[in-house]
Amino acid sequence: MTVRVLLITPILVYSLAGCVTNHQRYGWGSYDPSLYAYYKDPTKEAALAESLAAIISTADSNHAPVPPGIYAEYGYLQLQEGKNLAAVELFKQEESHWPESKVFMDRMIKVASAQTATSTTK
Amino acid sequence: MNPVSKLFLLGSVLMLTACVGAPKKYDYAQFRTEAPRSILVVPVINKSVDVNAPDYFLATIATPLAERGYYVFPVNMVKSVLSDDGLSDANLVHSGDPRRLGELFGADAVMYISIERWDAKYVVLSTTVTVELNYTIKSAHTGEVLWSNHQQVVYQPQANSGGLAGLLANAIVAAIAKAAPNYMPLAHQANNGAINFKGTGLPAGPYDGLFGKDMSDY
Repeated sequence: MTVRVLLITPILVYSLAGCVTNHQRYGWGSYDPSLYAYYKDPTKEAALAESLAAIISTADSNHAPVPPGIYAEYGYLQLQEGKNLAAVELFKQEESHWPESKVFMDRMIKVASAQTATSTTK
Repeated sequence: MNPVSKLFLLGSVLMLTACVGAPKKYDYAQFRTEAPRSILVVPVINKSVDVNAPDYFLATIATPLAERGYYVFPVNMVKSVLSDDGLSDANLVHSGDPRRLGELFGADAVMYISIERWDAKYVVLSTTVTVELNYTIKSAHTGEVLWSNHQQVVYQPQANSGGLAGLLANAIVAAIAKAAPNYMPLAHQANNGAINFKGTGLPAGPYDGLFGKDMSDY
């Protein structure tokens, strides 16, 4: 037993000191496991959407930054649900938080707005 | 020196060399010239027999890249949009021009990943789970390779008891690992090994305080 503890302790210490870089920059919530669960079972899209919404609401209340891509991912799921106005709002959020996303988001806002225009004229 | 101390020392030395950084530093000249702010992860090439591997892997890659300080395009959305544009075939996307992708998404850099191995092999009372990946980042402005890395992570679950009971326990552990191998911790470890090691990983991105200031390490 002593041997095992001796062996594990230095490894833990070195891992902490040398490998693990820093605390998390963003509040990821359950992003990784939710996306994994969704890929494993695509019927779990609602659960993925919920977890993305939770990342956004927790971050807004905790002042922990929303990670890059989260507003857009959530917006895209809204778009697939036909909630185009909500999608456009989220794409705009992504763009205002992350200027790097401008080209992509502008394109998606155009797509979502065009679809809205078509559906209202019908 | 008794065997325990020897093992202790060996373990310490191995961990130290692993964490302080690989001896050969990657050539970051082109990377530094372009200093990309954003990374577009495109569909992953799968050379394993597990058809789900690329999707499962995709759920692990955004977090470490973003935590390194880069803007990472929404991986699931990008996958769907590319698929809508008739670009769901990873091989096709990888052989295409990164500059074209750069125009479509406004990305600075494109990350190409191929899964070389993603398997669990059972050999005499033990199962070996292996994840092997190749990572390449190309400039979306010039098309040049800015960075590449290769990772292989191997996991061999072992029961902790000796003797006949230990053999039996190992056989059970191995059978479970073969029936339902858990690749995700290995994928996370591979990503960490590729991205976060000094000298071979990715220099700090624009959302990290060390952006452009870590020249001695990268």
